[in-house]
Parts: sequence; structure tokens; C-alpha cells
Amino acid sequence: MAWTAVLIAGVLEVIGVMNIKRLAMKKWDALIIMPITFGLSLSLLSYAMQTLSMATVYGVWTGIGTVGSTVMGMILYNEPRDWKRLLFISMILASAVGLKLMS
Amino acid sequence: MNKYWFYVLLASSFEVYWVSGLKHSESFVEWSLTIGAIVITFFLLPQTAKHLPIGTVYAVFAGLGTVGTVLVEVIVYGEPFIPLKAVLIGTLLIGVIGLKKVSSEPVESEGVA
Repeated sequence: MAWTAVLIAGVLEVIGVMNIKRLAMKKWDALIIMPITFGLSLSLLSYAMQTLSMATVYGVWTGIGTVGSTVMGMILYNEPRDWKRLLFISMILASAVGLKLMS
Repeated sequence: MNKYWFYVLLASSFEVYWVSGLKHSESFVEWSLTIGAIVITFFLLPQTAKHLPIGTVYAVFAGLGTVGTVLVEVIVYGEPFIPLKAVLIGTLLIGVIGLKKVSSEPVESEGVA
């Protein structure tokens, strides 16, 4: 459950960050979406940290956020999908899997 | 030192503080301080990004936040230091920083939501 919480928290964070950009583009519903997604993300983080180490949770959450926003950029904004990006994404995911196996 | 890099350092400190707070806060005062730290980080960091290269800011911030959290957990909260875990967090961090460094920020006017 804790790891599921970290995963969902990461996804919510990506949505929240996307809405910062939407707000800058005057899509005002972002003002409602942001507190909800960020609030939920942090709550799930807190929940996950009751059972897992905070360094692990924070690291993986940051990793999911970075991978998620990069992938969203690749899909929505046609950002480049070069081998370097894919390599770093793989490093992040492999590290996260490793940490999960250890926990 | 450029004062904006000091703000990045400051924001990272608040970040480590609220991450610890999310795990360890119990009283109303502790939770209030945690939420305060979250708010400070949330508003402070974008301010630095206006004056510094954002990719580097994020890399430094993520690095300091992650390392800081590991140190606090081991030193302050007595979590055992496990080398393999440190290595994996290290490779994860390298992945995050590397990904940010090879990605350029999209220009403000681009993008469809």
C-alpha cells in the first residue's frame, strides 16, 4: 500500500505541476486543481512514510515526478525522445525498483 | 556567493524540514511548521528560477533535498545507514539530475494544454 501511495503521489504531483503551466496560460480551473492534487500528493507521501524510510519515499517521489513530467512533455509537447533521456529515465526507474525490492 | 544560490540552499533546507515533518509531525504546532515550510519552499524556489538557469536550480535543489533527507534520517532519527540503499538513492538522483540537465525548458509561449 505504501508503494502504491508513493506512485499515486508522484502522478498527482505531475498533474499539479502541469497545472502551474496551465495557470500561467490563464486556465483558471488550475486554481482549484492545484491545491487538490498537491494536497493529496503530500498526504499520500505522509502516509507512505509511516512505513517506509523518508529518504526512499522522497527520492522515488521526486523520480516519478521527473519521469512523469518528462514523459508528459514527450507526449503533449513533442519533446525529444533521445537516448540520453531514455537512459536517465531507465536509471530512475531501475533505482526505484531496486529500492522497492529492498523495502 | 550569488544571493539567489543562497535562496536555493535555503529552499532545500525548508524542503528537508517539511519532508521530516510529514513523517514525524504529531502536534498541531509541528504540523503548522511543516505546512509553513511547504508554503515557503513552494514560493521561494520559483523566485530563484527567475534569476538562475532553471535546470541547474532544479538539479541542485533535488540533490540537496535528497542528500539532506538521507543525512537527517540517519543522524537525527537514527535510521540505520545501509550502503546499498544509499547507492540506489544515488543512482536515482543521478538519473533525476541527468534527465533535467539534458532536457531544455520549453519556451513559455509554446505548448497546448
